[in-house]
Amino acid sequence: MRHLGLLSKFPCFYIVAIILCVTVVLEFRSETLAKESTKKQKTELTYENDILPIFRMKCFRCHAGVEPKGGLNLSQPSALLIGGDSGAAIRISAAESSLLYEKIASDEMPAAGQKLTAREKATVRTWINNGAKGISHAKTIDRSDEITGVELWSFNPPVRSKVPQVSAQKRVSNSIDAFILKKLEQKQLTLAAEADRLTLLRRASFDLTGLPPSPKEMKQFLDDKRPDAYTRMINRLLASPHYGERWGRHWLDVAGYTDSAGILSADVPLQLSYRYRDYVIRAFNKDKPYDRFLQEQIAGDELTDYWTAHDTMDTLPEDVVEGITATGFLRTAADASRPDFASIKNAAGQYFYPTMFDTLQIVCSSTMGLTVQCARCHSHKFDPIPQVDYFRMQAIFTGAFRPTDWVPQTKRRLKIATKKQKQAADKTNAEVEKNIKALKTGFEKYKQELKSQIFAKRLAALPVEIRDDVKNAIATKKESRNDIQKYLFEKFEKQLSPDTKDLDQIYKANFPAYVTKGKALNDQIAAEEKRRVIFGEVRALYDLPGSVTTPVLLRGDPQTPGPDVDPGVISTINTPNTFSWKAPPEGTRTSGRRLAFAQWLTQPDHPLTARVMVNRIWLHHFGTGIVSTPEDFGVSGSPPSHPELLDWLATEFVRNGWSIKHLHRLILTSSTWRQRSRVTPETRKKGTAVDPENRLLWRQNLQRLQAEPLRDAVLATSGLLNPTLYGAPLAVHRLSSGEVIVPVKSAPDRRSIYIQILRLKPQTMLRAFDQPEMTVNCTNRSTSTVSTQALTLLNSDPMVRAANAFAKRVQEDQPADPAGYAVLTAFSRPATEDERRLFTQFLNEQTTRHLAPHKSEDQKKAKIIAESKQLALADLCHMLLSANEFAYID
Amino acid sequence: MNQFNFISRRDALRRMGDGFGGLALASMLSEAAAATHSTAHVPHSIPKAKAVIQLYMHGGPSHVDLLDPKPMLNKFHDKTPPGEVADDEKRTKNLMGSPYQFKKCGESGLEFSEIQPFVSQHADEIAVVRSMFTEHRNHEQAIWMAQTGLTVAGRPTLGSWVTYGLGSENRNLPSFVALPDPKGQSVDGVRNWSSGWLPPRFQGTVFREQGSPVLHLEPSQPRPKEVTEGRFRLLKQLNQRHLVERSGELELEARIQSFEMASRMQLAATDALNLAQETPETQKLYGIDNPTTKSYGTRCLMARRLVERGVRFVSLFMAGQPWDTHSNNNKGTKACCDRTDLPIGGLITDLKRRGLLDSTLILWGGEFGRTPGAQQTKKNIEFGRDHHPYGFSVWMAGGGIKGGQAYGATDDFGYRAIENRTQTANLHATILHLLGLDHEILTYPHDGRDERLTDLYDAKVIKDLIV
Repeated sequence: MRHLGLLSKFPCFYIVAIILCVTVVLEFRSETLAKESTKKQKTELTYENDILPIFRMKCFRCHAGVEPKGGLNLSQPSALLIGGDSGAAIRISAAESSLLYEKIASDEMPAAGQKLTAREKATVRTWINNGAKGISHAKTIDRSDEITGVELWSFNPPVRSKVPQVSAQKRVSNSIDAFILKKLEQKQLTLAAEADRLTLLRRASFDLTGLPPSPKEMKQFLDDKRPDAYTRMINRLLASPHYGERWGRHWLDVAGYTDSAGILSADVPLQLSYRYRDYVIRAFNKDKPYDRFLQEQIAGDELTDYWTAHDTMDTLPEDVVEGITATGFLRTAADASRPDFASIKNAAGQYFYPTMFDTLQIVCSSTMGLTVQCARCHSHKFDPIPQVDYFRMQAIFTGAFRPTDWVPQTKRRLKIATKKQKQAADKTNAEVEKNIKALKTGFEKYKQELKSQIFAKRLAALPVEIRDDVKNAIATKKESRNDIQKYLFEKFEKQLSPDTKDLDQIYKANFPAYVTKGKALNDQIAAEEKRRVIFGEVRALYDLPGSVTTPVLLRGDPQTPGPDVDPGVISTINTPNTFSWKAPPEGTRTSGRRLAFAQWLTQPDHPLTARVMVNRIWLHHFGTGIVSTPEDFGVSGSPPSHPELLDWLATEFVRNGWSIKHLHRLILTSSTWRQRSRVTPETRKKGTAVDPENRLLWRQNLQRLQAEPLRDAVLATSGLLNPTLYGAPLAVHRLSSGEVIVPVKSAPDRRSIYIQILRLKPQTMLRAFDQPEMTVNCTNRSTSTVSTQALTLLNSDPMVRAANAFAKRVQEDQPADPAGYAVLTAFSRPATEDERRLFTQFLNEQTTRHLAPHKSEDQKKAKIIAESKQLALADLCHMLLSANEFAYID
Repeated sequence: MNQFNFISRRDALRRMGDGFGGLALASMLSEAAAATHSTAHVPHSIPKAKAVIQLYMHGGPSHVDLLDPKPMLNKFHDKTPPGEVADDEKRTKNLMGSPYQFKKCGESGLEFSEIQPFVSQHADEIAVVRSMFTEHRNHEQAIWMAQTGLTVAGRPTLGSWVTYGLGSENRNLPSFVALPDPKGQSVDGVRNWSSGWLPPRFQGTVFREQGSPVLHLEPSQPRPKEVTEGRFRLLKQLNQRHLVERSGELELEARIQSFEMASRMQLAATDALNLAQETPETQKLYGIDNPTTKSYGTRCLMARRLVERGVRFVSLFMAGQPWDTHSNNNKGTKACCDRTDLPIGGLITDLKRRGLLDSTLILWGGEFGRTPGAQQTKKNIEFGRDHHPYGFSVWMAGGGIKGGQAYGATDDFGYRAIENRTQTANLHATILHLLGLDHEILTYPHDGRDERLTDLYDAKVIKDLIV
């Protein structure tokens, strides 16, 4: 059986719906019929020969002519996929889910007249399952010519307005404030007062690096009396390598980054994804221009001309390696494909197309803030996105993905090497193989010799009369041995030939040279292995050779393909430069489709690209975007609270070389960002009355730390944080309790961005605090408040460990005032007098509570008292880490 | 003006505390919620059921050996299947009859195979849907269909929709509890109780059969009670001081409540799962005295105790996918029954005698059925049955279900659902209806539109199944 191998290997995994049935239709009730149909096996069922006659006899009464019932005309081979009012009549190669088959199989149709016979049903079924030969794909599609993006603000280029004049001119630090104040003043509101310096430092540290300021950094900032101390502080944070870790994480959300393949329960861990993660972190740290950042991720191979470098150069230049690594962006969608998927019929529709659909969704939602996936099945219900444009965009990626000629994800990787290097490596590695083999053979021979020596020695110990007979008996082949030889063999063979499993010991005991020779062999093999050339690899996306077509899929269904389309973009987006792509000459290694798309996407006046990104940056500094639905810039998204500001920022972004750090500087030096979140009851009352959601920003928003900065802050505060940058992910492990952690023995205290993200094994603490379940991607995180979070903070081992470390740290650093120092470290502010009183009392009482379980004579022992004190301090530290003030940023 | 009105519907859904932790907040918000969001926590019609116990059968139980008797299949045992039911994937060979006798049970005469001696005693309470079909032949995708309504990953499970729709009845316990098998994860793991893109407070909380009932309910190194209380008082004082300066920040209040709920949950969960409170007779009823049935019986009993305390949705799982009988179908299917039939029978008996069955809906079923044709994965290994999406059975009992009936039918060989074909969406719509929820109104905004459990389908409530 064809699938035996697969099944025995993967007994539980099973294969996809609806595989072609190539079998003959066998009527077991009648010998003759069976014979007849055996003959039929030779000729394939076709619409004209086999199906049309059935339809004509049983269906045409209603489903033919000028006004067929239900809009379904079965007399036209082109009408079957388009179908009638209820949808496609058939799905190619999928009879069981074809409407037509459903109706005839259950005898619901024909409604009047004779039902189809079992054989007719079987014929129709087999015909559909064999690919519905003889029907033609639909030629017409809904082009939705009337759809236009003219009226949708986000589909038209940003316009840079003049910076408005406002009354509170003295609060205008930069243009942002003018735009914000303008709207506030229209409602008789104004900006709240500036927050104090430590609040700003804490806010800026978390915003930019996702880490709290250290006591040292607080002191430095407070002591810095230079007029530009604030800007210096911002610049210091922007220059920190931890900046890329925080902002890289934001991007990885929208890119849908994980370290596992998804789909199947095996959720295969991906060993190479992290190179893309590291690329992202580096890109943010380098302030890579955003246009270049997108171009690399979408078409890094084409942009840096990977194939030319590969074919002609000695080594791959750094920018080429960067380019191909960046295309990992297009490999984040769930893709569990393995080589054996090739044997699955209809695997394209069931497995490969979905990966492509997800990829397009990731590209469009992350870069353009659009929910294009709706347009897969029909022209978008709300947004001006025609269905055909969805498939035009898909055509940009079919050159690389090829759903009908899929390369399993396990094989889609590029070596970081040129052709020359690979050839040289092949040569060297072949030599290495050869030499190792020779070394091993030599040693084997030597061992054989030793074995014979042992044998000879043992043989020599036998009485001389039988020696030769025994030797002969053992040397004789089993089937040729006579009875005497058999007897001798059985009696002596075991005794004379050393037992294989003891050989090593016997050699060692008898031949001192064996040990030295063995060691020498290992050294020689190791030396050879050292010469072996192994290249690093990246999970990249690149075009596959050969031409490719992209059909529109009617209703988004791969089993009902329509006409082919050329690559293109959403035609209703009003861009100054139109998408332009020409098929390259035959034999070109890559089609240039993705580069053409990336260039269209990153043109300076693209209506969405810059706006969507500045909105994301704004969102992470204020808790809400100017467009509060960063995932949806379409009709059903929310309109911008400050359209002029959004456009001003977008144009400012592009004018400044798409520099993300420039935007951070602008925002963080604005009075708007520097406002307090904590305002007087009067201000709150006034603001809430006019603008309850604070969309106008009459104060800064109180913001909760997301999962990663929360965990990272716990580590930083407790002094456990290991600041190592980059590298392979820290493997997670599921305990029998169900908790998923990074085991303590494997250096768990690195930043959360380095923890392996397995779709089916989420790290418990991060998931509890809303680290997204990466199904496709996450364009806007949700924030939940549930008691499992409280339980995780209060009782999980990693938190207990951190609290103990925190207590130890403060005790060591500030033995005179550990509690006050703990507050400073955890909350970035000095403790109040009132708090100090509270802590003193708590520590005394809690120490007593820890002492209580000890025997009364022990309670006086200094060691026990010291331990109890330390436990009480750890309790205090633990509560600081669990407190609202720790988790929220003013 | 109500000071809480400023929380938008979307924000309220995103930020509100969990069903228990945030209940106070939820009620504070109720006015706003009633105005802007009519679905959550408000039944759409008079509910028949208040709670659901889902007995999820991973792997796909063999309908023709359990619930859908097919004399023709036995008659043509080891014969080539006719064309209209030939395996279209060519993965199975000749037809394979069931070795198990079917018996008419109860007054209704609903048929069960002999390997379910206990469940079949409740035939008159049970409605078997024999005409289910699904859309994928692989486990994961079919599980997503059964649990979330589409063959797409990452959507909210039935349990989270129910919880989203109904909220909680118990302030101290989660409203959606998952009871996984301590022997190991089921196929598709944590996704089986995921809330997908619904807020995380609607996801299932795992309660454990052994040890502390909920992860992190207690620290691994126990603390004296006074120590815990001292810590907690300090935390409250810290949070109170912090809040005073930020009064009006609802999120802070919700978070304080979530900590208080956490400490109350410790008592409530420990009490709920203290099976020692049950009489030996009850324990025996669930098979806790027998090593074969102990584990599943324990979870069935836990389910009853949770439902009794107002938990809305309890899902029971078995490790791996025991019903996935590619080989040794007959033995494998019986072995699954041996482990589960007595406990499930006991559960129904117990619910009935406590007057809980009428308000508790029991769902039994997996992601698909199994082929009428025989599969041989290796030579000299007994025949199995392959995955089969085109026709299979599930059953429901209690909670407003009209028992003692088989709804729909497959063809003579159990291959294809042909009568009253039942798509998963119809089943889901019916379940929601029994709980007083309208599948068309119970929506949640996602990716730019209001999605529902029965998304993309023209789903109908199956009236015939309802009392």
